[in-house]
Amino acid sequence: MLRTTSLAATISLITSLAHADTLTFYTAGPGGLADALAEAFEAETGITVNVFQATTGQVMARLEAEESNPQADVVVSASWGSAVDMYERGLLMEYLSPNAAEVPDFLKHSHYVAQGISALAMVWNAQSDVPRPAEWTDLTDEAYRDLVTMPDPAQSGSAFDLIAGLEVAMGDEVWDLMAALAENDMIVPGPNAAALNPVLQGAKAVVFGAVDYISYAQAAGGETIEVIVPESGTVIAPRPMMILQSTRNPEAAQAFVDFVLSEAGQELVASTWMMPARADIEGLRPGINDLNVIEVDEDAVAARREEIIARFNETVTNR
Amino acid sequence: MLRAQSVLTILAAGALLVLVGLPVLFILLQAVFPEFARGSFAGAFSKLVILIENDRLLMQARNTLMLAFSVMLGCLIFGLPIGVLRGLFHIPGARIWDVVFLIPFLIPPFIAAIAWMMTLQPRGYLFQLVGFDMGRFLFSFTGVAFVMTLNLFPLVYFAVSRALEMVGGRFASAARVHGARPLQAFFLITLPLSIPAIAASLLIVFAMSIEEFGTPAALAARTGFEVLVTGIYTRLSDWPIDLSGAALGSIMLMAMVLAAFTSQNWIATRRSYISQTGKPASLEKADLGPWRWPVLTLFALVALIGVVIPLAAIAVTSFMGTISGGLNWANFDTRHYAPIFRSGSRATQALVTSGWLAVLTALATAVIGGLVAYIVVRGTGRGRAVMDGLSILPNAIPAIVLAVGIILAWNSPFLPLTLYGTAAILLIAYIGILLPYPIRYAVARLRQISGSLDDAARVAGASQMRALRHITLPLMAPSLIAAMMLVFAIASRELVASIMLAPAGMRTVGTFVFAQFEQGSVQTGMAMSMIAITITSGILLAVNLWLARQGSSAFSG
Repeated sequence: MLRTTSLAATISLITSLAHADTLTFYTAGPGGLADALAEAFEAETGITVNVFQATTGQVMARLEAEESNPQADVVVSASWGSAVDMYERGLLMEYLSPNAAEVPDFLKHSHYVAQGISALAMVWNAQSDVPRPAEWTDLTDEAYRDLVTMPDPAQSGSAFDLIAGLEVAMGDEVWDLMAALAENDMIVPGPNAAALNPVLQGAKAVVFGAVDYISYAQAAGGETIEVIVPESGTVIAPRPMMILQSTRNPEAAQAFVDFVLSEAGQELVASTWMMPARADIEGLRPGINDLNVIEVDEDAVAARREEIIARFNETVTNR
Repeated sequence: MLRAQSVLTILAAGALLVLVGLPVLFILLQAVFPEFARGSFAGAFSKLVILIENDRLLMQARNTLMLAFSVMLGCLIFGLPIGVLRGLFHIPGARIWDVVFLIPFLIPPFIAAIAWMMTLQPRGYLFQLVGFDMGRFLFSFTGVAFVMTLNLFPLVYFAVSRALEMVGGRFASAARVHGARPLQAFFLITLPLSIPAIAASLLIVFAMSIEEFGTPAALAARTGFEVLVTGIYTRLSDWPIDLSGAALGSIMLMAMVLAAFTSQNWIATRRSYISQTGKPASLEKADLGPWRWPVLTLFALVALIGVVIPLAAIAVTSFMGTISGGLNWANFDTRHYAPIFRSGSRATQALVTSGWLAVLTALATAVIGGLVAYIVVRGTGRGRAVMDGLSILPNAIPAIVLAVGIILAWNSPFLPLTLYGTAAILLIAYIGILLPYPIRYAVARLRQISGSLDDAARVAGASQMRALRHITLPLMAPSLIAAMMLVFAIASRELVASIMLAPAGMRTVGTFVFAQFEQGSVQTGMAMSMIAITITSGILLAVNLWLARQGSSAFSG
């Protein structure tokens, strides 16, 4: 024990000395992307990037627990509201990368900028015996009874945004839709992966409100699923990238943000089947301009979070 | 001579306070002061309101207890018969069965849940093979209790088999001489003597089942089934994060486990269970005779349900080109192993990291756990009960909350030098989380060993340390070794604390597998699990066979 402890103490001393040319990067998935960005950045600048990749909840919980002595330099979350919140609490450093010039205005702010964007969609297993749905409301049809899953808005920020967005587009009718889906035995098994898994194997046929890029990638890998974005509109989930005010290495952090927004960095983002943040970089799949995006006032929605989740639970989960 | 005991007590108490007391204290502080993580003591007790306002709390608490008791019952059904047989009889291939029943601990609970889902759900493997599914059974309260039982029943198996090995058949023989029938002797004499061990293992089962989140979430969330942990995880699963609410929820779990601990303690100490008095007695196990094949069939049946089916589901999934392609040879593909074996892959790094962490954790928990158990059973003073109770808490706290407590404690800006941010913090967390196993096992064992053995050695002139080393320690060894293997198995795939505490850039087997699932590559996650399970069970088997060849009576576990 003693030897381990002193060894660890030495290691921690070394790492704190070496901190000058390393960068700590906390990020929500996809993990392959974070590693690829870190390696390419290191090859270009010689700065080592230590990656911590987890779910948005885990990243945020760790940031919050570390708040009295922050460890991260750069953070990417899957939840735009988390960046707004951290900005309002004064935790973020002001920086607008020159490479952000091509990022649409609504996806950048003085303190944070989108890394990439996903959209919410329906994912349909083509081998299921049910017809291909085209609209959110199709899934209330008898043909889809007991065959629809949906991520839990209490556990998935993007599913929450979808409900909030559909409420903007449809008004109170969204709750009729939810009630009809619940009546049709839709299940709400947990976060995104939990909702998608039964559809892959065929236990269920359609996901209502899946994060699209994961399914695009799986379809490219040969899974018989199709991503369907309703023409009536959907919401997008931009993933904010931010530098913490507490960073001990602001130059390196800014260089990293510049790199992620460079053409090379955005190509790496695009290769995960997300939409790149920069409008001038081609994605592998339909981009923002191909979608009918429902605009959501993040602040107003965030204030009503508990109310919306409670109503969802009342209508669907604890019916 | 008195000094040796005080030094040991101080060492044991100090280790427990640092490893367990410190994180628990910071969780309490966070529960009371919502702004604590930000270094402020503002708004004390303002979060308590969620306890009053939450009308689902009672329902969740009832579900939690129902689930815990069902899992305890299930573990007795699965673990007790084979544990008794293993303890009292010569079982062909006993060492190999031990390793087989360690495998459930090598499978991360969330993977086990996914494996069962993919096997039993509509259009799952069972349906693809034989044309019917058991989705209704799996996605229900019974299904959750069933899968959780399969994750935990070996705890009872190991505790009971080690305890009965020590009781042996001689008390029953005495009863037989006095006219008892064989079954009467077993139920009235032999089985009651192993009560401390059964109670100790059931206590861990209870704590683990009220803390477990993955299985109820995966299998029963869709039917609206909620447990207390549901609320805790929801508070930490997406922005906005509520550390304080999660900490408060964990306090309720701690209270439940302390209540369970008290009743366990009452059962284990209200009478004497001493069976090892030092009298020379043969502890030879009985031969099964004609019962050999029925008994082996029972072992095989338990292994089939608890080990073979989930393992086969993991293996099959890892070799499937696509999940939607289903079970057919055209869909057989090894490509999901490629990212793991690619040169410079982080998988190797993860395997090495988890390997040395598991070894160090097993050694450290055995030393500290053995010491704490010795003080708790043999020491004097009121602090012992506190130590004993403290040592079970890590099992009651959801790992993610315990990790938050460790961050709060070890990342404080007031520390001049900290282990946080280094691999050592993972070791500290693992030891804290897994300490309950050796402590519970060793305490139960010590309650079977008469203190007069120590006294005899002391009368014969041995110092206390010498008596400990030559008398008590060898007698405790089988339980400690069984616990070390459990600890090694669990540490080799630990997930939640690793995610929260691993320094950025470091990976373990658990975090690697989880990241694969998150990215949607179920098969690569299963492939990595398969590799880790193969390596770890290979190591455990080798150690077990080596111990058998040593053949020393002290290690006849």
